[in-house]
Amino acid sequence: MRKLLLLSMALVLCLLQQAMAQSRTVSGRVTEQGTGEGLPGVSVAIKGTSTGTNTGIDGGYTITVPNDNATLVFKFIGMATQEVAVGGRSTVNVTLSPDNQQLNEVVVTGYTTQTRRETAGSIAVVEAEEVAMVPLGSFDQALQGKAPGILVQANSGQPGAAANILIRGRGSILGSNEPLYVLDGIQISANDFASLNPADFASFNILKDAAATSVYGSRGANGVIVITSKKGAAGKTRFNYNVQYGFSKAPESGIELMNSNQKLDYELMRGNPYRWDADDLARLRQIDTDWGDVFFQTGRTANHTVSASGGAGKTTFYLSGSVFDQTGTVQNTGLERYTGRANIETNAGNFTFGINSTVGVSDFTNTSENNTGIATPLNAINWTNPYETPYDADGNYTQIYSGQPNALQELLENSNLRKQIKGVGNVYVSYDAPFLPGLVLRTSWGGDFRSNETTSFVNPTTYSGQFSTGGSGSFGRGYSRDFRYTGTTSASYSKDFGTEHTLTVALFNEIVSSNGRNFSFTGYGLGGPFQNEAGITPGNATNGFIPSVGGGGVENALLSYFTNINYGFRDRYYLTLGARRDGSSRFGANRRYANFGSVGFSWIVSDEAFMEGLTDVFNQLKFKVSYGSSGNQAGIGSFESRELYGRAIYNGVFGLAQTQLANPDLQWERKNIFNTGLEFATLNGRLRATVEYYNSLTTDLFLNRQLSRTTGYSELTSNIGELQNRGFEFFLDGDIIATENFTWTANVNLTRNQNEVKQLVGEGDNDIIEGVIITREGESMNSIYVVPFAGVNPDNGNALYRTLDGELTETYDPSNRVIVGSAEVPFFGGFGSAINFKGLELNAFFSFQRGNTVYNNDLNNVTNPAYFYDNMSVELLNEWQQPGDITNVPRAGNRYRSATTRFVEDGNFLRLRNLNLSYTLPTRLVSAIKLNSLRVFVQGQNLVTWTDFRGWDPEIAGVSLTGAQYPALRTVTFGLNVGL
Amino acid sequence: MKINKIILGIGLSCALALPACESVIEVGPEFAEDGSQIFTSLNDYELALTGAYSLFRQVGYFGNGGQTTGAWSVLPDLMSDNLVQTAEDLANWQNQINLEYSTDDADVAASWIAAYSVIGQANLVLRNIEQFSETDPERVNRIKGQALAIRGMVHFDLLRYWGVEFERNSTALGVPYKTIVDINDMPRRLTVEETYDNIFRDLEEAETLLGDVDQEINTSNRAYIDQLTVQAILARVNLYAEEYAAAESYATMVIEQMPLADMDDFQAIWGDASTEEVIWAVSFNAGEGSPASSVFNAPSNRNRARPATPLLESYDMGDDIRYGTYFSTRSLSGNSRNILSKFIGRGSAEDNLVDWKVFRTGEMYLIRAEARARQAGKEALGLADLNELRAARIVGYTPVNLSGQALLDAIALERRKELVGEGHRFFDLKRTTRTLTRTDSDLASTNLSVSPDAIEWVWPIPQGEIDANPNIADQQTPGYN
Repeated sequence: MRKLLLLSMALVLCLLQQAMAQSRTVSGRVTEQGTGEGLPGVSVAIKGTSTGTNTGIDGGYTITVPNDNATLVFKFIGMATQEVAVGGRSTVNVTLSPDNQQLNEVVVTGYTTQTRRETAGSIAVVEAEEVAMVPLGSFDQALQGKAPGILVQANSGQPGAAANILIRGRGSILGSNEPLYVLDGIQISANDFASLNPADFASFNILKDAAATSVYGSRGANGVIVITSKKGAAGKTRFNYNVQYGFSKAPESGIELMNSNQKLDYELMRGNPYRWDADDLARLRQIDTDWGDVFFQTGRTANHTVSASGGAGKTTFYLSGSVFDQTGTVQNTGLERYTGRANIETNAGNFTFGINSTVGVSDFTNTSENNTGIATPLNAINWTNPYETPYDADGNYTQIYSGQPNALQELLENSNLRKQIKGVGNVYVSYDAPFLPGLVLRTSWGGDFRSNETTSFVNPTTYSGQFSTGGSGSFGRGYSRDFRYTGTTSASYSKDFGTEHTLTVALFNEIVSSNGRNFSFTGYGLGGPFQNEAGITPGNATNGFIPSVGGGGVENALLSYFTNINYGFRDRYYLTLGARRDGSSRFGANRRYANFGSVGFSWIVSDEAFMEGLTDVFNQLKFKVSYGSSGNQAGIGSFESRELYGRAIYNGVFGLAQTQLANPDLQWERKNIFNTGLEFATLNGRLRATVEYYNSLTTDLFLNRQLSRTTGYSELTSNIGELQNRGFEFFLDGDIIATENFTWTANVNLTRNQNEVKQLVGEGDNDIIEGVIITREGESMNSIYVVPFAGVNPDNGNALYRTLDGELTETYDPSNRVIVGSAEVPFFGGFGSAINFKGLELNAFFSFQRGNTVYNNDLNNVTNPAYFYDNMSVELLNEWQQPGDITNVPRAGNRYRSATTRFVEDGNFLRLRNLNLSYTLPTRLVSAIKLNSLRVFVQGQNLVTWTDFRGWDPEIAGVSLTGAQYPALRTVTFGLNVGL
Repeated sequence: MKINKIILGIGLSCALALPACESVIEVGPEFAEDGSQIFTSLNDYELALTGAYSLFRQVGYFGNGGQTTGAWSVLPDLMSDNLVQTAEDLANWQNQINLEYSTDDADVAASWIAAYSVIGQANLVLRNIEQFSETDPERVNRIKGQALAIRGMVHFDLLRYWGVEFERNSTALGVPYKTIVDINDMPRRLTVEETYDNIFRDLEEAETLLGDVDQEINTSNRAYIDQLTVQAILARVNLYAEEYAAAESYATMVIEQMPLADMDDFQAIWGDASTEEVIWAVSFNAGEGSPASSVFNAPSNRNRARPATPLLESYDMGDDIRYGTYFSTRSLSGNSRNILSKFIGRGSAEDNLVDWKVFRTGEMYLIRAEARARQAGKEALGLADLNELRAARIVGYTPVNLSGQALLDAIALERRKELVGEGHRFFDLKRTTRTLTRTDSDLASTNLSVSPDAIEWVWPIPQGEIDANPNIADQQTPGYN
């Protein structure tokens, strides 16, 4: 690999010796139509080369052109691109007008860029400014509802928690469904974004079909999210300062619990398990603790970002620093983050050198969630009896009657901290071959470095402290370090043949290699004042405080060769070809390499002569179609194909035990995707729409081949089975009113996805059933499979179930289970609208999902009559008591069954995701105080949610709401953007 | 044309770089051993044998878990009249305790696979070990003898749950007997008789091999299976098989080598401070789980299952040292509860961390007493065994005189009193009366009686096995479908 690097550098160096061609200087100024003001940051490039510059603060630019035949291309986001032939002129002034032609938008396909006109792939672009100021620690959460085809589910409101993202449905059953994330060409780890500052990003390009993802080969099947960070523009340095402050509140729970009187009455009805006497009851009825109030708090958010961008001559830079400080709605949770970024690029002759780099340091304070643990504070909110209090009269923690831990004590006395340091960066050099215009050589090397240091203090006085080895608390520290480097070397050649043909051919080599190490220790016998290593009592033969130590590592690598070919004809027919060969360390020698490829075609129909009469209706009309493949290799172990033996200690003696069976035939999952769509603009470009249809089929699905359990194993991961996702995407964006002082815009995006399991292991009855979830051929994945609950027999209080024949029975029989829905979301989207009057803007954005079902285990836990020592749902007050009672709650002694429709609920919701009111001060006012721009705003996040779901938050990724849900934050912030 | 040169140049550099690149993906595991690289020396076999022992700690075998509990440690007592499920269990082990399982029961499946995974690891130890017989015969004997004993005993444990009957020559369904390493092997259930044939073959060979070894197997404690342990296993297996003469003979061998503990040391056995009368105990150390956390969970003071009152009342509370050793009380919110304190921890620790005593001399006395009582003309010897055991446990014990059914009943009750919590009661009921009657219960959901003809005495073959193994599909335990 080092050899390759040296070779490519040598290659670049020897090309440098080529003579420079004849050239001269052209300068000019770019202004905005309407205002006549200079436009800074406009890209000025020489057509057919990668030579270019940006306009300065006043819109001025200077560029060196090779000869009089050069054509300059002026590009600016939101403006129509202009091409101007230089001819003999030395001054070229240009006026840019707003672009209503969405097809000229630049999209980043990861390894290359194209205009939307050219691209045959399905690529959604989310402008980073939509995400930059959302007060969430992890930017992925802010992509909710922003683009068709991408389902984002928050899953947790814990500060810094990552969302769950699915692009066009779940395409793997056992493997990973996470998209691939690429930041400035470097693969970055999914689900770990809290140490990145979204305000540093310029755009998100979401690659969805094979034409876009096949060049990512074995990593592309779940879609790719390509993020580019901001770059500077030559000219006067521009400073920006963004600040916001705000607060967050927990939502109301959809589960109604008993109050003290209700609970005590219920206990009496059930035989008074705690043997309360009259005095006890009188005392306890006076208490009515709202355990939500005990645990929840008003969270605070503070966020500052300072950036400077600019450049002089041939060097541009973007620098930024930020502080993000958020406390959660649950006490003792929060995220404190500091980030810095430096992006610098410089041109030297035919070379362009650059560096993109960011470092983030985050301190997380977390509480456990998404479990059914009794020591978990978020469960205690539901489970602790309302007649108990967290503290006694003397201010000491109470002991909970049921023997459950005092969860407030657990929360406040124990701590779980994590310090993350994350660095992402790359250096690159590209060379425009002067002897052959259009040939560009480029190499980029960079990495994603993460270190996490966790500390866990368990106070000996707490319930968990008694469970520690030796029964007296613990202190543990762990450290993990992960580094993945991505090195990409390419040669690309672009040429126009005649006036009708354009061709770009690019060849790539890429290495992606991951290496991670971790270790941890936990010491016991915590004493004295110390909550760190100093508090640990060293273990000996009698005290039992034997510390535990652990460690491990991961390693895997990918070696790839790929190509991308774009051919254009008459500026309206475009053909895209992609092919990639990947070799992965994960697979056995006989399955190490795999090939992926795609073909795409796009056609600008509106430019055809026969459309001439219709250009008033279809200002632009584009048709596109693509077919191809990409793969998935994530979600299984690094050495899944080998027989492995792991450490197995017995009686203090080292041993080895078999942990994994060999499967030398294990290989990639393969996803074949068909995509087609129309993009059009009408009403003078004021209404823009995209409609797409896709059909993807995952084959060689990772699935478990069932083994006779007498092998000691139940299954072997193999490539069997097929899974289909198909659907429609719809995007509409309109300028309803567009006048100088008043604009009103609206947009909507909708996705319909149908997931269907096509083939599983073996013939006949080959369903995979795990708990209430079934995977069955012909049905959606993650279908919920339970017995229909049909009420209560009024005569005896027994639960009634519906048989497959529709009869009612008191016998619970798993053979009566039916599919009652699926956790896969079939219909989702977002819509928003903005009204702007003289700089005063109101912007509302909604997202929704519809049609999925959720198994509400959180509700089950407060409905099971066996758990009546703790608090319960008010529903149990309607428990059947005597013959003739008409109720839906069976008698307490009836055998309780949880795998029934009683706990299956619709996952539908509509959420006011963001509401933003802002005022941008007029230029004349801000220039008076020597500023470029000034904007004040107030915004609300998740202010309203419409749902029937009985829980804190319907936004759940997965089949079941297990318990201990940390609801999404409802946040209001006030802020200021200053530019100078 | 120049472009050709460029492409040629890039192609060349790639071609040159390729061999170097290839090494990028030559990555091997560093935190685990690749199976193709080991079993080249006896040291590797020794490591794998240690691995086999470690698997006994699995949840599903002797280990206790959050939702599944030690099938061969405390579960047989939870499934009996010795222990009573309380509300503090939070209904966690509802299905097992009430013997309400169906073919898709997760715990039944976990126990089946846990046992076969130990067998699988033992078979890895046995595979090709003969290649070293010439060069290092006594060391091979030591390793192979233990692996064979593990294989035989674990198959016997499987038979205890899944065997339809226990009689030596029964043609009812037993369990598959695994002696080979092959993931595509789809074995059938053998008859009980055939299962025993294999068990006895392995155990008897083990007994022979372990008589000629290169070094002592147990030095500081009793964590490994040695010849004495194999004899204890054979005593138990013969009792189940109703081979009473052999049971008596093996029990005698063990008793002669490992006498009962002194009264003064009896308490210390349970905190692992003494290995008196401990024949084999599976070692549990910090971080390795617990064999008994699901009865009285000491760290949380959660009395998931309390000792049944009729059992407590059967002890001579003042003079029987077992009463104070096995039981205690703990209070919660002011209420005092009876607890099984036998497995509470070592020293003063209350963490349920103790070695799991699989075989003790006390059981050997009871095996011999029963085996003799069931043999014509040996009743008096059986009574003497019972009196001898009681005399070792009860201060100032006066021998009793019993015979016939009364003697057998007294031995059965003594088994409960001596072995409570040690994983025998369900199997003893299955082996003798096949009747479970619970007269003491806390919860409305408790299953109060199981009759002799109930299917619950024999566990179903897990549905997963039936689905995956076509050869066993027609051999489901009678009564389940």
